[in-house]
Amino acid sequence: MALSKNRLVVSCPTEEQNLIKELVALSTTEQIRKIRELPVSFEEKKHVRTQAMAFKSSGQSHHFSSLRDFSQNMSLLIRRFGYSIKSVSQSLQLWRGIMKEIGGKFGSSVLNYFVLLKWLLLFNIFSFLVNFGFITIPLLVSDLSPNVSPNVSFRGLELLTGAGYFNYTVMYYGSYSNETFRGLVDYDMQLAYFFTISVYMVLCGLVLIFSMASSFKKNYALADAASNSAWQLLCSWDFSITNEKAVNQRKNNLRIQLKESLSEKAHRERQTTSEQLKQYGIYFGSWLLSTGLAVGCGASVFYLCQYEDEQAEDTETWSALKEAETLLVPFVVSLMNMVIPLFFSLFNKFEQYSSQRKQIYALLFRNVLLRISILGVLCYYWMNTVPQKFTCWEPMVGQALYRLVIVDFIFLMLGSLFGEFLSNVIGTKIQPRLGVPEFDVARNVLEIIYAQTLAWIGIYFSPLLPVIQILKFFILFYLKKVSLTHNCQPPRRSGRAAQMKTIFIFLLFIPFFAGALSIVAYTAWSLTPSEHCGPFRGLNNTFSVIGEWIDDVNKLSSTQWVVWIYQNVIRSEIFYFLITLIILVLIYIFWQLIQGRKELIVLLRKQIVNEGKDKSFLLEKLQNLQKSCPEVNKKQKKRTTHTSRRSAERSSGSQSNSNAVVQVLLARQQQEEEERRNASGVSVPSDISTSDAMMQAMLARQKAERQDENAYEATDGHPPPLDAVAQSLAARQRAEETDGYWSTTHFNRSNPVYSSIIQVRQSAERDREDDSHDATSPVSSAMIQVMQARQKAEEEERNQRIYPPGQNAASPGSSALIQAMLARQQAQNEYDDGY
Amino acid sequence: MGTTASQLAKDSLSEYQVNDHLLLENAHRRFTELLDRDERNHPNPRVPMEVILTLPELKSNPFKTRICQVFSTSEDKDGSLTFEDFLDLLSAFSDSATLEIKSHYAFRIFDFDDDGTLDYGDLEKLVNCLTGETEDTRLTSEEMRQLISNILDESDIDKDGTVNLSEFQHVISRSPDFVSSFALFLFYPVFPAPNDAVLHCFI
Repeated sequence: MALSKNRLVVSCPTEEQNLIKELVALSTTEQIRKIRELPVSFEEKKHVRTQAMAFKSSGQSHHFSSLRDFSQNMSLLIRRFGYSIKSVSQSLQLWRGIMKEIGGKFGSSVLNYFVLLKWLLLFNIFSFLVNFGFITIPLLVSDLSPNVSPNVSFRGLELLTGAGYFNYTVMYYGSYSNETFRGLVDYDMQLAYFFTISVYMVLCGLVLIFSMASSFKKNYALADAASNSAWQLLCSWDFSITNEKAVNQRKNNLRIQLKESLSEKAHRERQTTSEQLKQYGIYFGSWLLSTGLAVGCGASVFYLCQYEDEQAEDTETWSALKEAETLLVPFVVSLMNMVIPLFFSLFNKFEQYSSQRKQIYALLFRNVLLRISILGVLCYYWMNTVPQKFTCWEPMVGQALYRLVIVDFIFLMLGSLFGEFLSNVIGTKIQPRLGVPEFDVARNVLEIIYAQTLAWIGIYFSPLLPVIQILKFFILFYLKKVSLTHNCQPPRRSGRAAQMKTIFIFLLFIPFFAGALSIVAYTAWSLTPSEHCGPFRGLNNTFSVIGEWIDDVNKLSSTQWVVWIYQNVIRSEIFYFLITLIILVLIYIFWQLIQGRKELIVLLRKQIVNEGKDKSFLLEKLQNLQKSCPEVNKKQKKRTTHTSRRSAERSSGSQSNSNAVVQVLLARQQQEEEERRNASGVSVPSDISTSDAMMQAMLARQKAERQDENAYEATDGHPPPLDAVAQSLAARQRAEETDGYWSTTHFNRSNPVYSSIIQVRQSAERDREDDSHDATSPVSSAMIQVMQARQKAEEEERNQRIYPPGQNAASPGSSALIQAMLARQQAQNEYDDGY
Repeated sequence: MGTTASQLAKDSLSEYQVNDHLLLENAHRRFTELLDRDERNHPNPRVPMEVILTLPELKSNPFKTRICQVFSTSEDKDGSLTFEDFLDLLSAFSDSATLEIKSHYAFRIFDFDDDGTLDYGDLEKLVNCLTGETEDTRLTSEEMRQLISNILDESDIDKDGTVNLSEFQHVISRSPDFVSSFALFLFYPVFPAPNDAVLHCFI
């Protein structure tokens, strides 16, 4: 243990000292967190922790040790309890094991689909709880639940159409009452309905905005602009994939992608103008075709609705056939949603986009366009035609949505069966050339987003629609999982999963959620609720509930502020005008900030490149110098590689470090030359300037010795003014110097020799300092003082017969460090005494 | 019994390494399965690399030997793991590990010759690892040269011909897929038994 400890200390002494100092200042929880985040092995973590603990306890008095122990034990217990709770809750997480399995077999892009599915399921569960709790339960409790008229019975077809029997249940808007239940507190059904729906929509919006913004920040703002960069591909390797076959497939795909990324550049340059024209022609044609298809689908749905409109009549009881006829529209819509995307994929095969990403985006955009145009037409029909035709129109819209949800579900299942199962059979048995189908993440995600949009639109018309949605997503999860594991292979191109995820959330928000929200808002603001059913009967529009409520509140004098807020904030144009103005100004300011940052980034990049040039220049110089004195090369090489490796490790933090290191290397070389001269007894200096410098060094040393008494005060906290480079240089040199000392003393431990070597080195160092940097004399004298202080400390340590940990520390305020070391030593002593 | 001794060790481990008790339990169970019967009584048993590599989670990973070597604290660098090393491995690959930790270990795994930088040789080995090592799957030397010069163009900011840790971390911070893909999970039992974890906090 002791041995390994020493090894550790030698390996990273400075950082460790700093780290421990940092840790001591933190609270226990913070400390644990910090230690956990260190990228080192457990052994080292434990070591750091014991050091920090020893340091901490040495600073405290021993009076309250038992109390402290107690509190520490308590906090340990509490923490453990917390961890256990956390892990238990983790183990209870829905589908945790399945998710890991899917991630392990198919990678993170497929996993994204399931994560999104689960997320939407949670949305629906929340929505169901809220609606059921605040709207349905009060209705059921107050016994105002609607009576099913006697001539309506459950036929089973309702499960598909949602009409008939269901029309009289709490499923739809129509069955809810507009009364205020008198009980312990008055419960106004109108207000409850309005606020539940609006709060749910607002919460959904907020959650979406936040998750979208955070994933944008993470995946777009910070992500690399280059679309197909090699590193992106290399870093996207999924370590979680454990399936041997999947791994081999991944390797193949990665190789293909790498080759493509290499050929892409060449390909782009080679294209002639006529080829480009042809390319653009194909783009134009396929965009025209796909847009035409989408618009055509919308138009045909519109005519279909009109046709059905003429057929249907507002009757209490429909015959079974009539009821089944209502399934025509949802059937056609779902069929379009299933078949038309196949054409889009076909177009996509002909267009050759330069990058995979563009291709996926084009496909996605067309599919979204299709779904939006169909949904838009349906909504237009519901908002304009249905209210005029039926006396109780909201449940009709609710029923239409119910049918869409159900039929969509059936088509999703069929899609899984035919799309995945059959093509698997074809791919394996009949036409092996086609191969096993891939799991098309984009198409599947779009399907569930569309399904969720239906539920969002329907929330106003049918508050319990989330129940159907929960069932649908739940079954879909298992269905897709089974279909995936049995029929599909992982997608061939899987890069950029995180960005795709962002796109999906964005899609979920922008056309779909925003569309659903605006439709619900339009219904509440502008449409007249039906006069004979539903909670808002007799009102001009749904929103006027608020106005009536405020009138009520106005009668009570104690709640005037609510009225004030309503009058001056919600209903005043000037308020919104001001808010808009302020937001515009803020946007402008942030935009300017971003521009500034961009310029800064460009400048910093240039600076880094310049630093790199500096480094290579200095390295070259070093190599030239090495060549000029080949006889020391052998010795030199060994040391240089050693040092350069160390420096490589250290310089990882900051670029400028490495420059200093190179400079140090130069200095070291000179110093070693000098040393060699001294050792071999050639005391006659080869050139005048060196000996001159040496003289100066000696003088400086004498001066330093004279100031020896106040050495501690001089260095303590007040280093002489010098520029940062020189300072770090000095610190570095000292570090290297002490390093050298250890290697020397290893062979030669007797004190006089050691001190003479130190002297020679000091003078050499001084010499070089004057040569290359003409640093002011305070610098070097301070340095010597520091070294002497250090020597003293080390001698002291040796006297106490404890193996001195090789602290070749390099922090500028080293006297503080020495004190810290002494304190640590003391702490260790106490620690040992304890045993 | 040896299990009780390591049980104690396990308790002290938990909070400095993982805050996921379930992971700890699972890791401990899986680790003991790898040990021979007589080794279980050893206070701090070491599992040789060959045995570790039989874990289904690691078996087909192209970096399996590198992973063992990086996480091993063994003196003679044979890639053998103690339970602590094993837990280090799992926590670095777990969901809760930070980007800092993950990128650090990824760098060490990719640094095949352990010299502190990714140079041409390291990158070549990395690409070969990822595309398959056999003759027919390997990239041609011309492609490899082109690819590595692309890589260096992108990431070697100071133009010294190698990618160092800070440059690597810069690359990683700009590829959002990395955190989710640098992950390795122990297979959980179908019905995870939280009993042990629950018991622990009451004992």
